[in-house]
Amino acid sequence: MTKDNRTGTVLLVLAVVFSALGLKFVSGFGTRLPATRIISLVDTQFLDTATFRKSYAELIREKADLSDFDCYACHEKGKPPVLKFDAQQTLIVPKEHEDVVMKHGTHNRNNNCFNCHDEQNLELLQARDGRQIKLAESPLLCGSCHGPTYRDWEAGAHGRTGGYWDRTAGPMKRQICVDCHNPHSPKIPPRKPAPGPHLLHPVASVAAEASH
Amino acid sequence: MANPTSNTHESVQSPPDGLSRRSFLRSSAVLASGLAALAASLAPLRHLNDFPTVEQFLQKYYKELTPEEMKKVLRRIEDEVEREYGLRPHLRDLKPMNGVEFVYALNLTRCIGCRKCVHACVAENNQSRNPEIQYIRVLRLPHGSLDMEKAEHNYNPEMVPEKGYFYMPVQCQQCKNPPCVKVCPVHATWQEADGITVIDYNWCIGCRYCAAACPYWARHFNFTKPSIPKERLNLDMAYLGNRPRRQGVMEKCHFCVQRTRVGRYPACVEVCPVGARKFGNILDPESEVSYILCTKRVFVQLKEELGTSPRFFYYFDV
Repeated sequence: MTKDNRTGTVLLVLAVVFSALGLKFVSGFGTRLPATRIISLVDTQFLDTATFRKSYAELIREKADLSDFDCYACHEKGKPPVLKFDAQQTLIVPKEHEDVVMKHGTHNRNNNCFNCHDEQNLELLQARDGRQIKLAESPLLCGSCHGPTYRDWEAGAHGRTGGYWDRTAGPMKRQICVDCHNPHSPKIPPRKPAPGPHLLHPVASVAAEASH
Repeated sequence: MANPTSNTHESVQSPPDGLSRRSFLRSSAVLASGLAALAASLAPLRHLNDFPTVEQFLQKYYKELTPEEMKKVLRRIEDEVEREYGLRPHLRDLKPMNGVEFVYALNLTRCIGCRKCVHACVAENNQSRNPEIQYIRVLRLPHGSLDMEKAEHNYNPEMVPEKGYFYMPVQCQQCKNPPCVKVCPVHATWQEADGITVIDYNWCIGCRYCAAACPYWARHFNFTKPSIPKERLNLDMAYLGNRPRRQGVMEKCHFCVQRTRVGRYPACVEVCPVGARKFGNILDPESEVSYILCTKRVFVQLKEELGTSPRFFYYFDV
């Protein structure tokens, strides 16, 4: 075979290969499109801006059923209820109030209803200095013990804020203590986290590779 | 040109002045393969369907647009969004407010790592759902260190917070000395008077230098056309904020300019269930952030040794 001949054959083979490749690319035959995975939309519960619970003040605003707060439907006026304690000096929560879990503070120091509720008028609260405080104004009572937190809250640094940061543009939405904390058991329980980044997310995949 | 193929006997002799059968075949083979290679190299163009229109292509630089021109651009983009999603957005061009410099403060004592901020941000800012683009990354770190090597994004327990860990959300730190702005070859990203570093999505060329320069991994690139379900599209839009992006442009947290420049709180602040996120005007001594920076243990501007001087502060209670 002459040198010329060989070159021609090689060129011909190359031409056939390139034509085939060109045909393949143009027709798109056997092309794998970038992997598309279905990422389900996040549950709207994670977009909810509602607070952890509803305070008495909030229920008043919503004109909700307030019969739970009508103490004298059962209790007798002017007759302070008698508290019962067990052998360990732990308060026995009566059956009528079984939804109340007494877990405010450590070492069981807060096992007395009348640390906060007013003994003489059950529909009011009472601070340690004897001031009577309405249920809807409970932060004053909370602040009588939790001074630094109250100070932070007043400045807007403790608790949630919403609405407008610019006071001239609109109202700032403030929450009160009991919008988030249950006064009888103030520690907020753990919750389910929203879904993490999907593995197709560049950040997540790098992290996953690194952990191997 | 003579026809060399008519006489095969002569072509074997390959006359020097004419074109032999072999050389014809050879050159046509070369031509065919060349054309095939050209076609192959141009084949990806078939997937291009998002050509910019003439108006998009000829749009002037953001800072050079007159108010009238800006109005036209806003209407045009509204039309574009309506054509694509079937919903008419409310698009504005919001300028920084006078006497305002935004600062963010995040309470590491409070954060429980629930990631609600991540998804509120995605919903507010029309980020792509598939592939996912998220401005906020929540890192889980073991107690007692701030070693980023030990940070974990993919934690997925039944319940948060977990014992022995704390959580550190990271997003654009809105640096006073932003490295991303310095590297942008076309000035498509810049720092505004209120401290927010913004991007003009119509000016970005997609070189991704800024993403490489950012030490916080805060910039995210639209490698594909972002997909946003119509029913989750936020129609309250700003030009430098949450209007839908094209393929091939960079995006990042902009402190929700569509909200904050009309006086509202960012979406992540409003959704945080524990009140760990605080936002406000640092030039106002009455603002929450001023109170926090004055009275709290503000420990870190993340990676402060880099000299980026973030406007995003992490602090502890007490």
